[in-house]
Amino acid sequence: MAIQSWRIRDRYYRLVGSRCASCGAEYFPPVYRCRECGSDKMKDKEMPKTGRIVTYTQLHEPLPGFEAQVPFYLALVELENGARVLTQVVDSPDEAVKTGAKVKATVRRAKVEGESGQIIYGYKFIVA
Amino acid sequence: MYLMQSKNRAAILGYGAYIPYYRLPTTEIARVWRGGGSGPNVEKAVASMDEDTVTMAIEAARQAVAMSGLDSLGAVFVGTESKPYAVKPTSTIVAQALGQHHTLAADLEFACKAGTEAIQVITGLVGSGMIQAGLAIGMDTAQGRPGDDLEYTAASGGAAYVIGNKGEGAIAVIDCSTSFVSDTGDFWRRAHEKYPRHLSRFTGEPAYFYHIENAVRTLFEETGHKPGDFTYAVFHQPNPRFPVEVATRLGFTMDQIKTGLLNPMIGNTYSGSSPIGLAAVLDEAKPGDKILLASFGSGAGSDAFCLDVKDGITKKRGKSPTVKSMLQRGTRIDYSTYSKFRDKLHK
Ligand SMILES: [Zn+2]
Repeated sequence: MAIQSWRIRDRYYRLVGSRCASCGAEYFPPVYRCRECGSDKMKDKEMPKTGRIVTYTQLHEPLPGFEAQVPFYLALVELENGARVLTQVVDSPDEAVKTGAKVKATVRRAKVEGESGQIIYGYKFIVA
Repeated sequence: MYLMQSKNRAAILGYGAYIPYYRLPTTEIARVWRGGGSGPNVEKAVASMDEDTVTMAIEAARQAVAMSGLDSLGAVFVGTESKPYAVKPTSTIVAQALGQHHTLAADLEFACKAGTEAIQVITGLVGSGMIQAGLAIGMDTAQGRPGDDLEYTAASGGAAYVIGNKGEGAIAVIDCSTSFVSDTGDFWRRAHEKYPRHLSRFTGEPAYFYHIENAVRTLFEETGHKPGDFTYAVFHQPNPRFPVEVATRLGFTMDQIKTGLLNPMIGNTYSGSSPIGLAAVLDEAKPGDKILLASFGSGAGSDAFCLDVKDGITKKRGKSPTVKSMLQRGTRIDYSTYSKFRDKLHK
């Protein structure tokens, strides 16, 4: 259990995905079997922290746990290695949030479990 | 005899600052609470609703570590008075985000001086040979009670420093330091309280000035240095006026302090205040420059440092965003957005 939660934190804080040792394909979130060559020799790999917005939308309807943050941008970001991440885009002027915009990863509070629960941190992106 | 100096001198090998994107003009605070005017500073930096000391420390730390070129840190210390958890270290979350596990991690608290304490301790750990390199962070999301004088200046931000053995990559050698403390009740926050309390008449003379002057004068006496030896001086910045006043009393000129004087633009970032001022100075300093850094923390105490800028600064410059670029990349918000961001307003 301890190892597994470590892995999840590394995924959320450091964008740790996986790389196929046979053909070099990279994945985020990590996969156990390569979709390109079928190999199961997958190694942990930290993803590049920059990429571009492929598509985006502005959410006005609060998802549970995100009520205080609406409206916010949700975007599909293609990282420099081709891996794709669904992510919030923050700290960016409205006019800068557009398809093709260069973004970089940051770590933010993703969710707060009330006044006494845990604070969950995770990646979000900012228009560079 | 009061001078602190490690046998093997440690050096700053990388640094990174962090100033949040949002700025609250103090005219907004004055509009709401006084019906007009402004505060002593022009604007203050405000953390967004999804930011806290952990997230800001991670940002600054990532830049510092990248600049240092190191992949292993023997210690990760976060100096702050705004820990997201009362019990659970800030430093372990930062360490995890940096991929560091075989490391000594701790949170330090000393009002506004916890950041420079982290620098002192890491310097000692490196200087003694216990660790090869460590990370010292000063970061806060300071809060003032709505309408209190403190609300004009209490701000968010800070800086991180990778400190290791001096060598080719040295940006600045930490030559020596002093500390001066006393039990002074100028400012405090009891457990479970959200906002601090302070005694205005105590914050200046017996607190800020008394402790900084003692720490810096001791440094001068024991090293033989004088104000004219330093290219830059950085003091803790609770408001725009105190650092200028203490600099004048100690014999420094406006030219020596203006580069690191950020309070008018960002406010008081508490544990981050003097560390971020030092980052602004390092953004411009040249090899051979000497820097004086003096913090202040209520309760109370001051750490004073003498730093010697080295060649590494020219090679490493440009590897992390400058304080100036962070000052430029900001957007102004109004008091209601600020209230929402800083948990003063709920749905
Ligand atoms: Zn493969």
